[in-house]
Amino acid sequence: MGTHLSDKYCIVGVGETEYSRGSGRSTRAMAVEAISKAMGDAGLSSGDVDGLMSYHGGDSIPSTTVMHDLGIRPNFHMDCSGGGSSTEALIGLAMGAIEAGMCDTLAIYRSMNGYSQVRIGGTGVRASAPVAGPDLTKRPYGLVSAVQNFAFTFTRHMMEYGVTNEHLAHIKVTHSNHASNNPKALMKQRVLVEDVINSRWIVKPCAHLLDCCLETDNATCIIITSAERARDLKQRPTYVMGVQGRGTKPGGDFHYQHGPITRVAGYHIGPRIFEMAGITHDDIDVTSCYDAFTYTALLQFEDYGFCEKGEGKDYVSSGITDLGGKRPNNTSGGHLCEAYTHGMNMVIENVRQLRGQVDDYCPRWQEGVHTYDYSEGGCRQVKDTEITMSMGWGTPAIGSAVILRR
Amino acid sequence: MPVYEYRGLGINIPDNDSEYKEYFEAAGDHRLVVRKCLGCGLLRGEPGHGCPWCASLEWEWHEVSGKGTIYSYQIVAHTVLPGFRDWAPYPIVLVELDEQRGQPTPDDGLRITANLLDENMAPEKEENVAIGGRVEVMFMDLENGLTLPQFKLSDEPPQGPVWRHPV
Repeated sequence: MGTHLSDKYCIVGVGETEYSRGSGRSTRAMAVEAISKAMGDAGLSSGDVDGLMSYHGGDSIPSTTVMHDLGIRPNFHMDCSGGGSSTEALIGLAMGAIEAGMCDTLAIYRSMNGYSQVRIGGTGVRASAPVAGPDLTKRPYGLVSAVQNFAFTFTRHMMEYGVTNEHLAHIKVTHSNHASNNPKALMKQRVLVEDVINSRWIVKPCAHLLDCCLETDNATCIIITSAERARDLKQRPTYVMGVQGRGTKPGGDFHYQHGPITRVAGYHIGPRIFEMAGITHDDIDVTSCYDAFTYTALLQFEDYGFCEKGEGKDYVSSGITDLGGKRPNNTSGGHLCEAYTHGMNMVIENVRQLRGQVDDYCPRWQEGVHTYDYSEGGCRQVKDTEITMSMGWGTPAIGSAVILRR
Repeated sequence: MPVYEYRGLGINIPDNDSEYKEYFEAAGDHRLVVRKCLGCGLLRGEPGHGCPWCASLEWEWHEVSGKGTIYSYQIVAHTVLPGFRDWAPYPIVLVELDEQRGQPTPDDGLRITANLLDENMAPEKEENVAIGGRVEVMFMDLENGLTLPQFKLSDEPPQGPVWRHPV
């Protein structure tokens, strides 16, 4: 496997709109704002960006419209179909496009009215769409939403490894503690294990309401360029050490034909990304692990090797992933508490961690001065973050990851 | 085959549906079928056109017994489909058919998704839904002409451990 692109490309700009549940505006307006903010963050003007990529599920605005609004003239653009785990994969594709000489600086965006328009959970527009193709053996059985699509993996994993709802609740508790120090977060209220357990059931036995993420209206953007160009830009560069995705289990496994069904895609691409980055798990200071549901985070920690298979329940409930712990996870609050963005907010948070620029409640955060007091309404900057890893989830069978350093 | 209305869903099986049209036609005859590779002889639960194991494009429909074991399950407490609200909480089961269990690798199998229903085609009681439980296929004939394969608990004793979450 080639490692020649490790450390040669950087994330130089990040930006996002407000996270809301009712944006009252178009995906076009939001996309343009997020890209504009990311360009401002990087110190780039429209003429400096000559590549655009986005991902969508038929719920967004294409690059061809967005480029017009910003006066960008791409040498390369492409809109990809996909949800979670697309962010990390598109970072790799952006590097490839630049390496191939197709463009020099590329903006990746995702824009979605994921609460007020096309809901990821499957209500509204999606619930009334005709059923055809592979969905014929799912939706006529009342199986439609994301958590239902994943639940066979979750339930079987509970049986095989003794995971309890209390274990899962710890993931929500940790992320809510982090979100309480994030002015952008939709759900800043800290919760307790019993709050999660006592919230209403969505799917038994693996998901209460508070095990599920927050459908959100938002747009997000990341800008990639070569390390050479990055050195002359406004921000301290964030180097891409390793990237993989969208890797899959055998056959994509849409219908759970291939086992073990408790295994997720990280099992296959984890070894590749650590080889590419030339590091081990112990080198990673901060993770972001896709928390569409509490269970998705637990499974990925296991199969990317942050703990042994079956020990994810201990990894997420022992304090390791807390701010102040050995390896904090989803310091923004993630999808469970900050916002559901299909993954991009988690990479943005890690970029800010690496820069020392996390936007918390520290009085002087804008100067990069943090208190490291992680109590409620305080700091969420991790001291001296050098290396981060983001693990994106599409389904149990589909995943991506990126390892970044400062 | 036309568009069928079922619980508020428009179920669309056009004549050019190369995968599912004949699957549902067989269900109409009360036969549960999977595809059998004519290259390596392995069955596949998902009716695609190439063999996942030998990539042969030659296949034929193969009737299976419809007997199997619950491999995993979920009880849908909150449904986003309005037409299923009168059923909630309702079980959906992942059934591993008896044919080709643990082949070609120990964790592979022919797995079918359906509801677990009682003899009256109503959702089975939650406390009776468990991994390891033995089930058999039955066919739900809708008035509109569509038939959905479904599963019910069988009288057979379990072949291994039985597990259900206590909630």
